[in-house]
Amino acid sequence: MDEIQRRAFMKGAAIGTLAFAVNGVEVMLTPRQAHAQNVPLRTLSAEHAATLDAVGETLVPSAKAAGITNFVDQQLSIPAEEALLEARIMNVRPPYANFYRAALSAIDSASQAKYGGRDFAQLTASEQHDFVDLMRQNKLDNWKGPGAPFVYFLLRTDAVDVVYGTMDGYAQLGVPYQAHIAPTKSW
Amino acid sequence: MANEKVDVVIVGAGASGSVFASVMAKAGKKVVVLEAGPDWQLGDLISSDFWGRRVKPAGSPFLLEGKNPYGYVYQAGWGVGGAALHYFANFPRLMPSDFKVKSTYGKGLDWPIDYADIAPFWDRVADDVGVSGDARAEEIWRPPGKPYPMPPMKTFPGGDAWKRAFTALGLRLTPAAVGMNSTEYKGRPACIYDGWCHVGCPIGALANPLVTYLGEAKKAGAEVRAHATVTRVLTSADGKKATGVEYYDAKKEKQAQEARVVVLAAWSAQNPRIMLNSATDKHANGLANASGLLGKYLTAHFASGTSAMFDEDIQPYMGTIGAQYFSYDFYDKNTHKDKGAFGSTFMVAGSAQRYSALGGVANARLDLFGAELAAFMKRAARGYTRLNAFAEEIPMIENRIELASDKDEFGTPLGKITHSYNEEAVALFNANFDKGLEIAKATGAKEVWSNKGPMPTIHLMGGTIMGKSANDSVTNSYGQAHEIGNLWVAGPGIFPTSGAPNPTYTIFALSLRGAENLAQNWGTVAG
Repeated sequence: MDEIQRRAFMKGAAIGTLAFAVNGVEVMLTPRQAHAQNVPLRTLSAEHAATLDAVGETLVPSAKAAGITNFVDQQLSIPAEEALLEARIMNVRPPYANFYRAALSAIDSASQAKYGGRDFAQLTASEQHDFVDLMRQNKLDNWKGPGAPFVYFLLRTDAVDVVYGTMDGYAQLGVPYQAHIAPTKSW
Repeated sequence: MANEKVDVVIVGAGASGSVFASVMAKAGKKVVVLEAGPDWQLGDLISSDFWGRRVKPAGSPFLLEGKNPYGYVYQAGWGVGGAALHYFANFPRLMPSDFKVKSTYGKGLDWPIDYADIAPFWDRVADDVGVSGDARAEEIWRPPGKPYPMPPMKTFPGGDAWKRAFTALGLRLTPAAVGMNSTEYKGRPACIYDGWCHVGCPIGALANPLVTYLGEAKKAGAEVRAHATVTRVLTSADGKKATGVEYYDAKKEKQAQEARVVVLAAWSAQNPRIMLNSATDKHANGLANASGLLGKYLTAHFASGTSAMFDEDIQPYMGTIGAQYFSYDFYDKNTHKDKGAFGSTFMVAGSAQRYSALGGVANARLDLFGAELAAFMKRAARGYTRLNAFAEEIPMIENRIELASDKDEFGTPLGKITHSYNEEAVALFNANFDKGLEIAKATGAKEVWSNKGPMPTIHLMGGTIMGKSANDSVTNSYGQAHEIGNLWVAGPGIFPTSGAPNPTYTIFALSLRGAENLAQNWGTVAG
């Protein structure tokens, strides 16, 4: 079989989008679609969601619109053996929600301590950038949670995932995705 | 619940278990393979770094301790095909110097066999699974052997840049030997160079177990049971024979599978965990542990990555995730002795790049985030390439797996892996960054840098090492436990030393050697 025929042949077996609950009904959406449709969160609190949106956007521009919070939240709601999070690869011990809750709380606590009681999502863009840079270097005072550089690494990976790890992301970079078996929709 | 007794029960459906299953099923034995994870099919291997995470471990976690905790999930398997379902399929060999490290250098351990004992099996595996490369070119570093059955893979500008640099510096880089098809082979198609090898190749151009040994085993009648988590090897009252294994099935119900021979082919940490958990009054410290070395002498590889960025399109998105070229020019274990280092280095160049996930381009500059990361990604998308220097860790008895007090859902103690690198390994890690930069500067790239970060742990080996007797090791060179003749251990756990290259080619070869020995001696071995 030539290259094009082979790819076309394999495409039939594709699966891809995630199951989100909308008005009590499970629908298959990409995280970007879930974000655009304001799909209710299953696991993360509104406060943690706001923090994750803001940190994600600071780490990788457009991560919020790409649905970082819907992606992480949906993944935390399914059994660990089905999870597609980098936390799995980085040997985080399930349930992964424990890690995310501790990490997001640590970010807000350290932000409040440094910036007069303001959560990370309430900081200016410049303050958010400086905060994340300190987090990366493990130089934040009053950090109480999983190691700050590790939190930086994992949340950065989640943000990179939703922005660059998709078929849309490859298109944005101008490189071919070249799937054998394409994920349906865009990832 | 008891199942019908079989000839051979194999624990683990990865590279080594597949070879044992194939050889024994073809020898007419009734074979059952028990695999803890799902029953993956080629159609499950979606080209996506998200979905690729599904084929990585998700069972009971291992607890990680030491100065350099062993991060195992990226490279370990979960389900039928094991780690070889998503491996890079680089197929380098060990070198003759790897087999006598203790007697030559006074460090580490010796193997009870030599290069020549394995060489015919490397050649046979190449024919069995399909290897592309240039064997003659490699013979500048190793003893001659058979040619590979397929010519080298295509190369792309991102790999060729390193080739030019090596040549300019008087160094040598040859086409990488890989378990992939550069041409159609045994009815399997040629590679299309799309860089998705690491999440599984669904067309079978890459030699994963489903399309090679495991496929052959099933055709010969072997049964594979997925979602079967083995907890213990069962032994006879006198402790002299293995009688089968205990496992939990997909419904989490306890089962027993009796067998005349038990082959443990889970990975290097899981095999000793099961053996330690199988202690009885006759084997108070775990099975086959008279030496006290069960779970000891774990080793890992570490890699020093060097990056080069070009303005032009060097097609980093094309190729295979393993390597286009490799080099043993720095394999002498004393290459960097002047820097306090010891151990071999094996270099690979020009792997295809993906853009997200652990090995992705975004992690080539971990310090960048925000707008700077976005700008970097744009430039790197078509201009980035990498050289990786894999290096050897000398075995130390302190690097080990043992049982923890925490238990999993079946009541089995979790495994605890303790791992630290010594000063010589750290020195080698650093020396290889220096060498990598020197080479990178000769590529003519606009920008070069070292990908320095925490010292990684790659490929777990050891823990059930082979040796000459029950006093110095767990198994003999075939993987047969010294103390229990019908208990075999397969995989890189039986490596006494690691060398520097990727281990899977040697896993296949050693497993073929061991399985054929088992088949030939069946009458005296089987319980």
